[in-house]
Amino acid sequence: MTVQPEIGAAPMLDLQDVAMHFKSRGRGFRTTTVRALDGVSLTLDRGETIAIVGESGCGKTTMGRVSLRLLEPTAGRVLFDNIDITEVKESRLKGFRRRAQGIFQDPFTSLDPYMTIRQIVEEPLVIHGEGSASERLERVEWALEEVRMRPASDFLDRFPHLLSGGQRQRVGIARALTLTPEYILADEPVSMIDASSRAEILALLRELQERHRIGYLYITHDIATARHFAPTATVMYLGRIVEQGPTADLISNPLHPYTQGLLNAVPEPDPANRLAERPVLPGEAPSPANVPSGCRFHPRCPVFMAGLCDVVEPPLVQVELDRTVECHLYGEEGQARAEQDATESVSENA
Amino acid sequence: MRPGEALRVVLRSGSGRLGIGLLAVLVFVSLLVPFFYPLDFGLRFWNNPIAWADNPKAAPPAWTNLVGDQAPRHRVFDAESPSQTVETGPATTRLYSFTFDHDSETPPTFLSVSVGEVSFYDRPPVISMSLARPDGLTATILQEVVRGQRPDETPPVSRFADEPRRIFLSGDTNALTAATDFLLQEFGLRLSEAEIQGNLEAALFGTPTSSDAPEFEPLTGEYTATIRVITYDSRDAVESVRFVAAGGVFGLMGTDTQGRNLATGLMFGFPVALIIGISTSVAATILGTFFGILSGFSGGRTDTIIQRVSDVMTNIPLLPILIFLIFVLGQKLWLVMTILVIFGWPGLTIILRSMVLQVRSGQLVEATQALGASRWRIMFRHVFFQMAPFIVAQMIFFTPAAILAEAGLSFLGLGDPSLPTWGQILEQGFRTGAIFIGYWWWILPPGILIVITAMTFVLLALAMEPVLNPRLRETAA
Ligand SMILES: Nc1ncnc2c1ncn2[C@@H]1O[C@H](COP(=O)(O)OP(=O)(O)OP(=O)(O)O)[C@@H](O)[C@H]1O
Ligand code: SF4
Ligand SMILES: [Mg+2]
Repeated sequence: MTVQPEIGAAPMLDLQDVAMHFKSRGRGFRTTTVRALDGVSLTLDRGETIAIVGESGCGKTTMGRVSLRLLEPTAGRVLFDNIDITEVKESRLKGFRRRAQGIFQDPFTSLDPYMTIRQIVEEPLVIHGEGSASERLERVEWALEEVRMRPASDFLDRFPHLLSGGQRQRVGIARALTLTPEYILADEPVSMIDASSRAEILALLRELQERHRIGYLYITHDIATARHFAPTATVMYLGRIVEQGPTADLISNPLHPYTQGLLNAVPEPDPANRLAERPVLPGEAPSPANVPSGCRFHPRCPVFMAGLCDVVEPPLVQVELDRTVECHLYGEEGQARAEQDATESVSENA
Repeated sequence: MRPGEALRVVLRSGSGRLGIGLLAVLVFVSLLVPFFYPLDFGLRFWNNPIAWADNPKAAPPAWTNLVGDQAPRHRVFDAESPSQTVETGPATTRLYSFTFDHDSETPPTFLSVSVGEVSFYDRPPVISMSLARPDGLTATILQEVVRGQRPDETPPVSRFADEPRRIFLSGDTNALTAATDFLLQEFGLRLSEAEIQGNLEAALFGTPTSSDAPEFEPLTGEYTATIRVITYDSRDAVESVRFVAAGGVFGLMGTDTQGRNLATGLMFGFPVALIIGISTSVAATILGTFFGILSGFSGGRTDTIIQRVSDVMTNIPLLPILIFLIFVLGQKLWLVMTILVIFGWPGLTIILRSMVLQVRSGQLVEATQALGASRWRIMFRHVFFQMAPFIVAQMIFFTPAAILAEAGLSFLGLGDPSLPTWGQILEQGFRTGAIFIGYWWWILPPGILIVITAMTFVLLALAMEPVLNPRLRETAA
């Protein structure tokens, strides 16, 4: 199912130390800088799915938008097929626009309500000057069949407001599919449609991935559903990636204190346990306009080490071959401290 | 939503049907006007008193005879050739006879005789007129000699070519003298010229009831007016003769104090109002839409400049500017329309900009951008379409504003004299004091037409509501 990256070949999508800072006018004459992304690196290959999880406001959407060059990052590079697309003019981006598409969160506002389904799905072809009118119609019908809107002719002349949320999202997927892209950003594609059609849509996305070898960046704040859809997961906190690894391992054995808290915050599927007391993430996430020093999670961290975590930025530690975590607990300094603490407590006990 | 669907939604509501119906009437009447009116109607006719000389002044509409007193009908008799010609030697007498039934208790409001384009060689022709009454008496009441040849003229001498010679009997000394003679001879009533002047029509269309005062009993029945033109050369010619027994009521809508047929003026006002309203609102809407979308979508300096200009423009009071510019540049309709457009677009621009900002931050723009659409495509294929129903509704809303603004300016006496508008008719009525004297037919129709026209567009805008609001539309569908 998941195609492992070919050794030595450049990844399809490569974010290198990307930062996205928004300047906004604050109170008075002061300008505040919102550090929505603050140095993230990520690679994605064809046929691969990476889930991005994290609380609201941690920069998931911003990362997705940078990856589609809907935003020009403040720092860092975005490579697509080894070509830097960070500073390319929009007019020279046609090739990229063909190969990278997006599926968006809100199927109610991401489709033009004044266009028929046919016009919506046809639009990428029109924009890229693809084919004759009849060829385009054929392609539209093909895309609709691909997302299991059958028979396509039933839907062609309808307007989106006559469709259900799930059907609209299928139209959104069909639109992304018409140009057979290699990369699709799926930004919370099922969070706004009713629960009954979520599984169906995710199954459809996986089916399409297998058939067309699409790479997905799957943004969600629900780490539990990510398990069934994305083999790899990336946890973000305040504009940084704090932990990355196989989703199953991440859930069974979370390393970063934030990931641990996030998993505890996931609602228990068993109603009997729902009222049971569980440790949840204490406090609200601080604003990316005011990022804490040292480890940005330190004000909320239950195992925070004073004098270290609030002073020194945590290192990126490769814990296993396919797992990384950014936390002092796993870094050399932190390990040293832990050992020291251990000896102290031993001597105290003695 | 497609136009056809939008129209169906509009027609589903009562206000929509009424609005469309009224609009159809307005448009129909407006389309008729160019077939019946010359383009320089305003200058050549409406504001030219001679054109209305033969009409009764301040006469109510003819249909008011259906209730209350019977006012005499307005009668105009035109003849190009005489009904009888008598030759006596070299002289030719042309007789133009007009018979009519006078059945009103009120005499005609005035009598006039017009002779158009006379040419002569030898001696100037003589014009006279007599009136045969139902009681068998005949009054000769006019005798006039056309002005003779001047030393610098060579025959044939032409007279009254540009404008017919029009004689109002009650203003003509000869006619008054003749009438005095007639009353003295037939009834033994001796009246001074001053006494007869105000009562000429009553005297001719009645029988005296007193032996020394100008009091008359109305005499109804068949009257025949005969106009004689005597010429003294066989080559002499008379082109046309007209006799008017002016009524106390006139036409469909009556007349004003200058005798102007209000129906003609009001009818001409239809296309003028529509052109003022629709062209200014279309122009202001196009500008407002363009700048609004540009401003909201481009951001940065373009946005700032457009917004500053709009803010300044919307805060300038329009009326003083209009009055000032009209004083400087003259009373021109195009000037008023231009100013309304210049000051009309910024309001829409400000609203549209904020709408664009909202749409821009939405996922549709993001999704379309990801497809590789150009800014122009996003702006005008998607953003514009999102707002199109709103823009159309705004345009409809702005239409009466322009019509009312023109009416208001005309009411201040700043209208364009070359084009009659409802506002001008209303203003002239007020200035003449029509409202105090009770000339309701001069005040009410233009007022009502302005209101109805404005209301038509308000009704249409109301009916657009479900088109604008997709949620209302869905429940209606
Ligand atoms: N255009 C912008 N201008 C200023 N600040 C922005 C902009 N876009 C995003 N931000 C800020 O950047 C931060 C990250 O936003 P982002 O939308 O990426 O979060 P998210 O992880 O997608 O959250 P959610 O789960 O709610 O979608 C937020 O604090 C947001 O307010
Ligand atoms: S670095 Fe320190 S504060 Fe940050 S997560 Fe790790 S232990 Fe907690
Ligand atoms: Mg988001």
